[in-house]
Amino acid sequence: MQIRSPGVWACVALAVAAVLFALLATNPYHTSLVVWILTNAVLAAALRFVLQIGELNIATAAFFGVGAYTTAICAVLFGWPFWLTLLLAPLLAALLSALFGWVTLRTKGPYFLLVSFAFTEVARLIYTKINAIGGNSGLVGMFPPMAIDAHYPAFAAALLAAALFALYGVERSDLGRLFKAIKNNDAIPRSVGLNVVFLKVLCVVISSAAVGLAGGLHAYTNNVIAPSDFSYFVAILALAYVKIGGEGHPLGPVVGAAVLTLVGQRVAGISAWENIFYGAVIVVALLAFPGGLVGLAARSRGLVRRDAR
Amino acid sequence: MNGDASTIVGGEVILRAERLERRFGGLTAVSDFSFELRQGEILGLIGPNGAGKSTTFNLISGFIHPSDGRLFVMGRDVTGASATTISRMGLVRTFQHDSLLSEMSVVDNILVGASHRQRGHEKRLEKVREVAAMTGLADHLDMIAGNLPHGLQRMLSIAIALAAEPRILCLDEPLTGLQGAEVVAALELFERLRTAHGLTILLVEHNMRAVMRACDRLIVLNYGRLLAEGPPEAVSRNEAVIEAYLGRKR
Repeated sequence: MQIRSPGVWACVALAVAAVLFALLATNPYHTSLVVWILTNAVLAAALRFVLQIGELNIATAAFFGVGAYTTAICAVLFGWPFWLTLLLAPLLAALLSALFGWVTLRTKGPYFLLVSFAFTEVARLIYTKINAIGGNSGLVGMFPPMAIDAHYPAFAAALLAAALFALYGVERSDLGRLFKAIKNNDAIPRSVGLNVVFLKVLCVVISSAAVGLAGGLHAYTNNVIAPSDFSYFVAILALAYVKIGGEGHPLGPVVGAAVLTLVGQRVAGISAWENIFYGAVIVVALLAFPGGLVGLAARSRGLVRRDAR
Repeated sequence: MNGDASTIVGGEVILRAERLERRFGGLTAVSDFSFELRQGEILGLIGPNGAGKSTTFNLISGFIHPSDGRLFVMGRDVTGASATTISRMGLVRTFQHDSLLSEMSVVDNILVGASHRQRGHEKRLEKVREVAAMTGLADHLDMIAGNLPHGLQRMLSIAIALAAEPRILCLDEPLTGLQGAEVVAALELFERLRTAHGLTILLVEHNMRAVMRACDRLIVLNYGRLLAEGPPEAVSRNEAVIEAYLGRKR
């Protein structure tokens, strides 16, 4: 695994700065905003991660929910230790996504997108129907242990940043190259002895482990979760982050999540207009700067030659 | 397991098709087609457009499965096996169209080819250098494959296959669109692969002069059926082949 990119140290510096800010800032609104941005960044990066194999995975939202519910159930209902509940979130999300991917990733065309949408909504409906996990109102009372409670935002920010780097590391590795090959022309990897279905499942599993961890952290950040937090709309927003930030660059989802989350704080009050606002932003971004903000910045500095397609 | 051993060139049978048949709805693309490929030979598969050559290629490489008949690779029954499995057994194919990863660099293309056999990035890179040197791609490693000149694109599709270390290399029209000197270079490469690397080659090709020169033996398909089989000179004098392949004699 090799991370070689001119921007990688800038990314490390940015992550360290975010964690330090979450550690040192005194205004709780600001610290939780950092965690919220990084959570959205992980969701967007995970969505983009599966876009590598050419699939739009709406179930990114579902596995975020699986992570959150796993942690919340284990913490609130079973009273299991903090570390274990956080460890189980990505594990269960990965396991379930392996089953989900094994069944759904054999087809080509729009089927995966449709099934991932249905899966997400079914998962949400299942949460609402089970009274033991709070039904419609969800679960309350997930708190980090006293020892790290004061610095929990910094702790969460560090793990979320680590998840982002992990996704980036895989993307830059030989495995990431195989994901791109599958999207480009999947007959080639098949012809040289690679198991394309397995690789696609692996891609979804890695992505889901990342959002599963983000879900587990989210449960402790928010202290309360509800089924409606994990509707397909979470993935649509993640797609907006990816498109605004720029799909072509690993920093795109992070930039998109930061910009839209901050802007979202301004429009949150005018609730009826919120979705229209997001929709308009996506359309304008796609028309005006299809490479996203990162693509726009790179082009203005003459850093990119025109992409092949 | 290996039936008759009427050797012309090369040794044991390493690929055997037994009465292969493939139907697409009402259309029978390949029917009652049996042939053998022997270790170390260069076998040409020829026939007019629509004769079933591509279907045969897809069948033996596991990209589609036969409606009837059996397929053996190195004595093992691989009828119905996946393309991945057959490739791992050492039968690697190239493609006539979309034969490379057009949006990725030449290095990345060959790296993907080496991904399964070679463990570790360094070993894969070593393989890339070796294969690129053989196929004349060493000076173009950083180019995007889709931007390569046509001749080098054909070479790259062969390089991807070679990186997977095949024992049987199946080339689907590798010479299409190549210039004179490029054809000569490609034919020299095939010969070198056979003699220096012990490869067995199955060649589908339209360039008749090249086929006559390169192949030890030809099989001719017409309307999905075996029309003729034998050494190039004999096949080129075969009346039925001339009529089917070149049109009626004037």
